[in-house]
Amino acid sequence: MIALLKVEWLKIKNYTAFIILSSFFAIGVVTVNYIIFIVNENIISQSQAVILTGKFSPFQFDKTWQTTSYASGWLLLLPALMLIILITNEFTFRTHRQNILDGWSRQQFIHVKIMMAVLIAFFSTILVFFTALAFGFYSGTSFSTHGISHVGFFFLKALSYNMIALLIGVLIRRTGFAIGVFFIYMGVENFISQLLDVLSVRLRSRNNLDLGSMGDYLPMNSADGMLTFPENPLKALTKGVMPTDYPWLVVSLCIAYMVFFYWLTVKRMVKTDL
Amino acid sequence: MSILSLENIYKNYGSVQALKGVSFNVPKGSVFGILGPNGSGKTTMLGIIMDILKPTSGTYKLLGEVPSEKHRRQIGTFLETPNFYHYLSAERNLHIAAAIKGRGVEDIPRVLEMVNLTHRKKSRFSTFSLGMKQRLAIASCLLGNPSVLILDEPTNGLDPVGIAEIRALIKKLQLEGTTIIMASHLLDEVEKVCTHVAILKKGELVAAGGVNEILANEDIVEIGAANLSALQLSAEKFSGYTSMKVADNLIQLFYPIGTINLEEINRHFFNEGIVLNHLQLKRKSLESKFMELTN
Repeated sequence: MIALLKVEWLKIKNYTAFIILSSFFAIGVVTVNYIIFIVNENIISQSQAVILTGKFSPFQFDKTWQTTSYASGWLLLLPALMLIILITNEFTFRTHRQNILDGWSRQQFIHVKIMMAVLIAFFSTILVFFTALAFGFYSGTSFSTHGISHVGFFFLKALSYNMIALLIGVLIRRTGFAIGVFFIYMGVENFISQLLDVLSVRLRSRNNLDLGSMGDYLPMNSADGMLTFPENPLKALTKGVMPTDYPWLVVSLCIAYMVFFYWLTVKRMVKTDL
Repeated sequence: MSILSLENIYKNYGSVQALKGVSFNVPKGSVFGILGPNGSGKTTMLGIIMDILKPTSGTYKLLGEVPSEKHRRQIGTFLETPNFYHYLSAERNLHIAAAIKGRGVEDIPRVLEMVNLTHRKKSRFSTFSLGMKQRLAIASCLLGNPSVLILDEPTNGLDPVGIAEIRALIKKLQLEGTTIIMASHLLDEVEKVCTHVAILKKGELVAAGGVNEILANEDIVEIGAANLSALQLSAEKFSGYTSMKVADNLIQLFYPIGTINLEEINRHFFNEGIVLNHLQLKRKSLESKFMELTN
């Protein structure tokens, strides 16, 4: 696998789109968290609401892991787009064929791309880890690993987005069209998710049936649902009305969807004409 | 030993049959031409051999074994179009090809020189002309000096000098013992460089064998006389020709190229008491032979 990854590195190390999107992501993670930090320190903490709800610092240890993971999760579209571009480039340039002609197996070709999806998710997570650490210390609190599992959820979310991107790339093959389908899919899933969430609240309030937030049971939303903004005094007020969260179910579903996407992606590459 | 053997290969695209039970062998050390009109299934067949396409049914062997990526690494393949990363230079593209093939990068300057691209090695692939792209694809095939080359329309898009260079290269490689499998719709190309040929027509193999045997360029003599049956009887006593055909009140005698002696033919029939009223030398072109096989 190392030899295969070296080849992938040769493909991307001088690729402008890769360099730009990676940089945007890295700068974006730091910037988004810094904005939240500043807004909280300078606006929310100074407002009258704090008198009612008490002071809340999202970047103090142990909250920093969850806040940074949640906020950075919004930027995971960038690595996903990057993966769509990387896989569809192969189809556009027909280099997927040439890689096979030159001596890769179809399995090797798709598995090295999946490994890229894992590595991109891994390096994104490392970046989030250090960002959370830095903001934790910056907020003047002492180190704690409590809540660090959210960084793990961030990894799962990143990987989930990457696997969806890879699958769409393999199915659609054309860069622009694949990116379009990715966004349309995201929009459609979010819309259905909202409807399911409304249904969940009604079932809870009218039928006393608590099935959790069903909107989180869809592929992308299960990835999103793992990461939430830390419990804060305002959020606590809504408890009792909203359906119960079942984090273990959402995480299990997210992993199950990923396994399914993995299977579908490999099957598509191995079985069809290239 | 056969470098490649195909056994009853079928390939369907929905209701369209692209290959209909194709079988043949490619002997070691040959320059094997796969000839056929556009859409006859040449590229489909090569694609199946190299695992780009999946056959509907049939089996094939490469280097005497069931093909795998291990075999593909030993073969230089150029299929249909030059496939490279547009944003990378020629040299970096060859680095990728060499890494996949498991060859070192030290061979890159040699192959670039062989196709006259050394001066453009730092240029992006996207800035290349069609001919240069084609030459880079051939350079990539030559990496690591493979014992087998598969080339699909290798002279497409090349200028006359480029075509002559590639032909010379193919001949040189054959002399060094490389087996070359080459698909082409250009008769002239096949005739000039191939030792063996397989002809495909609408997915069916119509002929396969030595190029002289299949695309034999024959000379024909047409003879005619008042009494056609007497002429035919007399012709049967005559030797030197390879076959005889009666057509339109004339008899056609087929000769190996350059062996016809019209005087001798005339004398033979005169001595037999037959006066010819028609004696004409006709050259059968390679093109008409190809048309005969594929139409």
